Amino acid sequence: MNTTAATTTDWNALDNASFRATVREFFEKHFPGEWRYPQRRLRWSEIGPWYLKLSEKGWVAPSWPTQYGGMGLSPEKLIIFIEEQERWGVARAPDMGITMVGPLLINHGNEAQRAYYLPKIIAGEHIWCQGYSEPNSGSDLASLRTEAVVDGDDFIVNGQKTWTTLAQDATHIFLLVRTDKSAKKQEGISFLLADMTTPGITVRPIRNIAGSEDFCEVFLENVRVPRTSIVGELNKGWTIAKALLGFERIFLGSPKQSQYALARVREAGQRLGLFEDTGFVDRYTKLALDVADLGALYGRFIEQVKRGETLGPDVSMLKLFATETYSRLADLLVDVMGSSGGTPGSTALPGGKTDALTTFYNARPATIYGGSNEVQRNILAASVLKLPS
Amino acid sequence: MTTTHDSERAEQLTLLRESALSFAAKASPLHRARALRQQTPGFDRQFWAALAEQGWTGLLVSEKMGGYEQGFAEMAEVVAALATQVAPEPVVPVLVFAGRLLAHAVPSDLATRLLTEMAEGRTLPAVAWQEDITGAKDRTDQAATRLERQADALLLNGSKRHVRPGAGADGYIVSATGPGGLALVWVPADTADLTVTSQPLADGSYAAQLDFNNVRLPASHLLAEGPNAVAALTRAYDETLVSTSVELLALVRGMLSMTQDYLRTRVQFGKPIGTFQSLQHRAVDLLLQQELTASIVTQALALLDSPDSDASARSAMASRVKSRASDAGLQVAREAVQLHGAIGVTDEYDLGLYLQRALVLAAWLGNGSQQRRRYADLTQNATEQEHA
Repeated sequence: MNTTAATTTDWNALDNASFRATVREFFEKHFPGEWRYPQRRLRWSEIGPWYLKLSEKGWVAPSWPTQYGGMGLSPEKLIIFIEEQERWGVARAPDMGITMVGPLLINHGNEAQRAYYLPKIIAGEHIWCQGYSEPNSGSDLASLRTEAVVDGDDFIVNGQKTWTTLAQDATHIFLLVRTDKSAKKQEGISFLLADMTTPGITVRPIRNIAGSEDFCEVFLENVRVPRTSIVGELNKGWTIAKALLGFERIFLGSPKQSQYALARVREAGQRLGLFEDTGFVDRYTKLALDVADLGALYGRFIEQVKRGETLGPDVSMLKLFATETYSRLADLLVDVMGSSGGTPGSTALPGGKTDALTTFYNARPATIYGGSNEVQRNILAASVLKLPS
Repeated sequence: MTTTHDSERAEQLTLLRESALSFAAKASPLHRARALRQQTPGFDRQFWAALAEQGWTGLLVSEKMGGYEQGFAEMAEVVAALATQVAPEPVVPVLVFAGRLLAHAVPSDLATRLLTEMAEGRTLPAVAWQEDITGAKDRTDQAATRLERQADALLLNGSKRHVRPGAGADGYIVSATGPGGLALVWVPADTADLTVTSQPLADGSYAAQLDFNNVRLPASHLLAEGPNAVAALTRAYDETLVSTSVELLALVRGMLSMTQDYLRTRVQFGKPIGTFQSLQHRAVDLLLQQELTASIVTQALALLDSPDSDASARSAMASRVKSRASDAGLQVAREAVQLHGAIGVTDEYDLGLYLQRALVLAAWLGNGSQQRRRYADLTQNATEQEHA
């Protein structure tokens, strides 16, 4: 392993073009071709080797400070890094440890927690999953009921989490739990870290409509978690969880997914000779312009991040337009496939194979996760339009 | 270095915005726009003189011709401020469309003279290029109107439509097909055998139909010919599409802001109607269209102001922004009326002023669907290359 290289390179000192070239070259040379632009979440067995490769290179945590093994990238450089990932279609590895737990511990954890967990995340030894949603707490997350009761040096946790992405591959879970039932709903919540091998934790994968098992239910039955596993203060978990929604929110609004879907629609249109059909060309062009204009809106928020400004609640617009544009593209793809629009997998067309349904299936959770689009509209109505509640 | 330049320019733009907004609010309250509706020519020549006094009629004109040689971003501040007050003066049709067309036709002596007079606020030229009733068949590189050369004279036959301003213009830059290909010809409004028929538009202003029946003009009235004429008309057209989008964006902002206020204050069932989630979500969709339009307008203005922008990129961007702005204008207008309820359909309520102007501007020079067709044609080759 070559961890010293990571801590001694000052990436921010490079000019943007050289940095971009360096990153691009590495991705193009080393990212496994079979996993480019995956249309589903990859399992650890598939993408784990890439995580370890990044770790070895010292690139697994681009946003973390160098003292914790990160690249210490400035916002501007981080955006370049992510743009290059997206450009090459680099798949997302299970990255909750990198994007959530690391920043959480760096900002709100204690020295012992940082010393224990951070190196193991960097090394790929700990794979984290997120225990937020519950069967009765989705959009209304603060109504969560999983409970942690103090018992000596431990908390005893009981409850159930759901929609936990790739819990079956995780070694650890971070949990929002209720530690004070008498307090108002946002105020009695704490943030806990738990080892998935702790007795009482059971994981059951959920098969989705696309036939894959991207997320799981996690049952917690008398799970003993040491009191030292709390992050931040008791009953202050909600504040921490909210603070974690940093500028990563912007990436829910990246135009990349829609650009990819537009290319699939264009390909299908060409294979089916539809560019001779004015009706199709009109629909296609409208969507092509939506994708282009999404890029302009995205660019505006990216500029804000590059200037080091904090993103306001108006960034929710980006998530709305990105996911709804993606969804309209998925609809058009199913539509042009006509009688093959109900056939899963690849359909052979003149000139190549087209998958009618994967985009459609992917578009369904996109408008739900990360705060459903209805919740995003509530946020915009209250915070930007200042409409009364 | 560019950063200092950029921040200086941003500061100047802010100053210009503030002064334009305060001028427009003071000199052009909404009741002025209301009073000028259907009163030929549909705008106020004295107000135009006041714009000239501000220096705004010469904003885009080169210094040699008495102008200030500013960019489209500067012009946009003035255009937006006036559109915010639904001012009826034909700022974009005259100063951008005709003004830029003349600028692209320079070094013609006549163009130079007309531009100088336009910058002073004395002459209002208009562009007459469309011939099709829906505009769907109009192209900037062709015209059915015929130009013949006879000894020292030019002879013009044909018809033009959708000319703005439809009344009050001092003359027209007319596109026609002649022996040298596409030609641009200056036709003063008082030329014999020219018939100008003003048609009322939804906002109380006018568009004109021009009929040329053996109209004779001196040879010196030929402004440009051949590829130069096509390039000049196409470029001015694209610049006008972007500037019209600036107007539409200002109207969108005005309508959404009125709607927000109404949702906050109108009480039904014992609470402000803005508390109802279904209405909140509809208002958010309008906000999204506003901000999308704003993002693209900013990009398009930057492209027009960039010295090395190429013609096809400019055309694609212009059609793209006009398509978004036209559709956003109409969507926000419709929804603003619905969210207001019955008051929204009354003539005495000011929302109607915005809606009617949005109808006119969304349709002018090609609506959303037509601009998307143009965009598709312009980008088809690029798409094919990308795919190959």
